[in-house]
Amino acid sequence: MASLITCPHCGTRPKEEFSIRGAALKRPDPAASEKDWHAYVYLRENPKGRYQEYWHHAAGCRRWLIVERDNVTHDVFAVSDAAAVRGASE
Amino acid sequence: MSLTLYHRHVLEDYLAGFGEKANPNHIAVIRRPAIFSILAHRAHEAAVEDALKPVEGVHLRYCAPDEWLVVSTTLGAAVIENRLGEIAGASIVDQSDGRALLRIHGPNVRKILAKCVAVDLHADAFAIGTSANMLCCHVSVNLARTGADTFEIVVPRSFCGSLFEDVMEMGREFALTAAFADS
Repeated sequence: MASLITCPHCGTRPKEEFSIRGAALKRPDPAASEKDWHAYVYLRENPKGRYQEYWHHAAGCRRWLIVERDNVTHDVFAVSDAAAVRGASE
Repeated sequence: MSLTLYHRHVLEDYLAGFGEKANPNHIAVIRRPAIFSILAHRAHEAAVEDALKPVEGVHLRYCAPDEWLVVSTTLGAAVIENRLGEIAGASIVDQSDGRALLRIHGPNVRKILAKCVAVDLHADAFAIGTSANMLCCHVSVNLARTGADTFEIVVPRSFCGSLFEDVMEMGREFALTAAFADS
């Protein structure tokens, strides 16, 4: 397991402090087609290797984080605040 | 604030019979601390932090970005509420009845806490005055270092009994004692 996550607000913490929401997908536009929304809500890739996930630091700062990790080697490459990432892309 | 909860401490039953003298490793359960949570509104984050720092008689505890706890063992809740009420752009809630404050100190305090939290508490990593939310004996608490061998734990009231029993268990090999204290 990727057992140590370095939260940008709290520092290095064990994985027990977090709850994992799942893949960090881009939310479709509210007016997007039913097909797009169905894909966003129900259909998931099952990637092997490096990908991004939403992690909630439930026992710490209670912020949503985006953790980029490799689910084969368990390396953690980057952890960032989800709000900051969203703010930068808007 | 619920006065019933405020006046009957949640650890009252746990501490019955612990009348003996305090050992070097000791938990002081603060009987009536004043604890407030502060949440800065968007665009007021820096102003609220600057306004909180000079408030006298209270300790500021960091929880999360733009979120703090204000803790006092000397001032009453009403006094603090007045002082904090002047700060614009912040939501302030009295948590005195909902949180408990434990002060743990002694020469072996880091060895005891090492069994409770998974955070590096070495003075280089967690200096005096530092505070953070973390998991302590499976309970989400706010831990602060107030001295070289002194830490303060702010814990939600309903989890306080469980946390207290676990910390006492971890402190057994160091003869950890506990008692109420007024400040």
